[in-house]
Amino acid sequence: MANITLGRYIPLDSPIHRMDPRAKILAMLLVLIAIFFPAGWLGYAIIFVAASAVIIIARLSFSFIWRAMKPMLFMLVFLFVINSFLLKTGDPLLTIGSFTLYSDAVFQTLYIAVRLLLMVMITTCLTATTKPLDMTLGIEDLLKPFQKIHVPAHEIAMLISIALRFIPDLIDETERIIKAQESRGVDLKEGKIMERIMAILSLIVPLFVSAFQRAEDLANAMEARGYSPGEERTRYKVLKMEGRDYVLLAGAAALLACMVWLAYFR
Amino acid sequence: MPISFEHVSYIYSKGTPYEYTALKDVCLDIEEGKITAIIGQTGSGKSTLVQHLNALLLPEEGTVHILDRAITASEKPKQLKSLRGDVGLVFQFPEYQLFEETVLKDVAFGPKNFGASEEEAKKRAIHALELVGLSDKYCERSPLELSGGQKRRVAIAGILAMDPKVLVLDEPTAGLDPKGTEAMMTLFHDLNRKHGKTVLIVTHDMEQVFRYCDNVVVMEDGKVRTHTNVESFFRDPAACRDMNILPPALIRMKEMLKENGFDIPEDVLSTAALADCIARQVKNHG
Ligand SMILES: Nc1ncnc2c1ncn2[C@@H]1O[C@H](COP(=O)(O)OP(=O)(O)O)[C@@H](O)[C@H]1O
Ligand SMILES: [Mg+2]
Repeated sequence: MANITLGRYIPLDSPIHRMDPRAKILAMLLVLIAIFFPAGWLGYAIIFVAASAVIIIARLSFSFIWRAMKPMLFMLVFLFVINSFLLKTGDPLLTIGSFTLYSDAVFQTLYIAVRLLLMVMITTCLTATTKPLDMTLGIEDLLKPFQKIHVPAHEIAMLISIALRFIPDLIDETERIIKAQESRGVDLKEGKIMERIMAILSLIVPLFVSAFQRAEDLANAMEARGYSPGEERTRYKVLKMEGRDYVLLAGAAALLACMVWLAYFR
Repeated sequence: MPISFEHVSYIYSKGTPYEYTALKDVCLDIEEGKITAIIGQTGSGKSTLVQHLNALLLPEEGTVHILDRAITASEKPKQLKSLRGDVGLVFQFPEYQLFEETVLKDVAFGPKNFGASEEEAKKRAIHALELVGLSDKYCERSPLELSGGQKRRVAIAGILAMDPKVLVLDEPTAGLDPKGTEAMMTLFHDLNRKHGKTVLIVTHDMEQVFRYCDNVVVMEDGKVRTHTNVESFFRDPAACRDMNILPPALIRMKEMLKENGFDIPEDVLSTAALADCIARQVKNHG
């Protein structure tokens, strides 16, 4: 469990880590949108280079990205199998018996794989360099303008930050309970159906009990300190955009514009 | 059938930026049939150490020998299940592992996993509940509606019902009231003295170490700092303080008396004996 890398914050010190979370979130959204324009291989190459530059500046390693990507490989293999049976256009590449693999099946799958890789790279650039709490501050600020149409910006941000706050705890708790039940002879890997069901119950019930317990404790602690969601409140940490944040945004916008141009005006 | 650690190292989250070496080249022989206390500051690796005993954690380097089995870094251990039946591990705050509808069913869960019949498992569960001091009126209650201390006892009974040869307890009395603590420690002591079980207890309470344990292992920063028997361990209170360990009250009392000119022999190891000793000297003096 501790090996899950997708979406994990990596505590390093780099210019990217120090950037304003709002700038990073907006830039990520712009580039994610850019990926969806059919800008061809050249477009993807440009995005890849840009994302790699950010990864290098953020001092993240590419093996980290690769590990985040790994869980998706299975999906891609699955997709490739389906594509090779369904897509019968393009040039025939390979014939085994009555089955023929066409070039479009390969290219379609590659296309999706590349997009997926780019998305993982870009979201990792954000999540690995931004503390969860900074992220929620950023989200709250970005949602502020929508309060006029009754979007509860603060509540959404609080929900997200509490959820993020509890993910590592729940992972730890799950590991702990797995170990405790394994000590009582639970075998999660094999066994008859009934034994399997009992094994899973023996994890889920304590996990729920402790999650509810934590939720209640937290709610009480917040209430005891006078928390009420609608209230105006000041912040300990005030976000401030600086020169480099605008550079990042400009870069992301330029990338988006470039993709639009490649896709429609070339 | 020795229990020993040979140059055991363990690394958490290996290969990530969170990598942490929790055990560093630990060599340790645990005496069988004795009660061994494992002490040391929080984060010194006590819990990591004991989780190697039933192969919940596998050593990164080195070998753990336990009850005729060798657990090594590279090999995937065989007979895991029978090992876990032989080495009963009670986790820190074990009350979070309860999940069945009734106390009886929860305690019988372990034995059933190890192949006991329904009948047999129930019998053992009732016996284990008796041991921890819960009468049969608790059997049909839901474990979730018990008090914290009672839950703890149910959880410990859940391990005792497996009838393990080696009993490993990670801070079993943390958060219990003094009376509950006393009862628990007496139980572990009895299991050792009357039923011959090897017992390992992780604890922060020096009074417990002094009163109930035979040997003591001091962990420090992932290494074994000291391993000796309890008597000689507390014979040198200065060395204890050096390891940030406050000796038990009786030892401190002896220390103070000696500083004030009393002559206290080393083998005075109970409150009553110490009182006698003082009384004699005061009488002779007067
Ligand atoms: N699951 C884990 N992942 C990463 N580090 C851990 C994990 N469990 C414990 N550690 C670290 O290993 C060290 C030893 O922990 P532990 O064996 O629990 O100490 P103790 O029981 O003596 O308090 C601590 O510094 C702790 O932070
Ligand atoms: Mg511990």
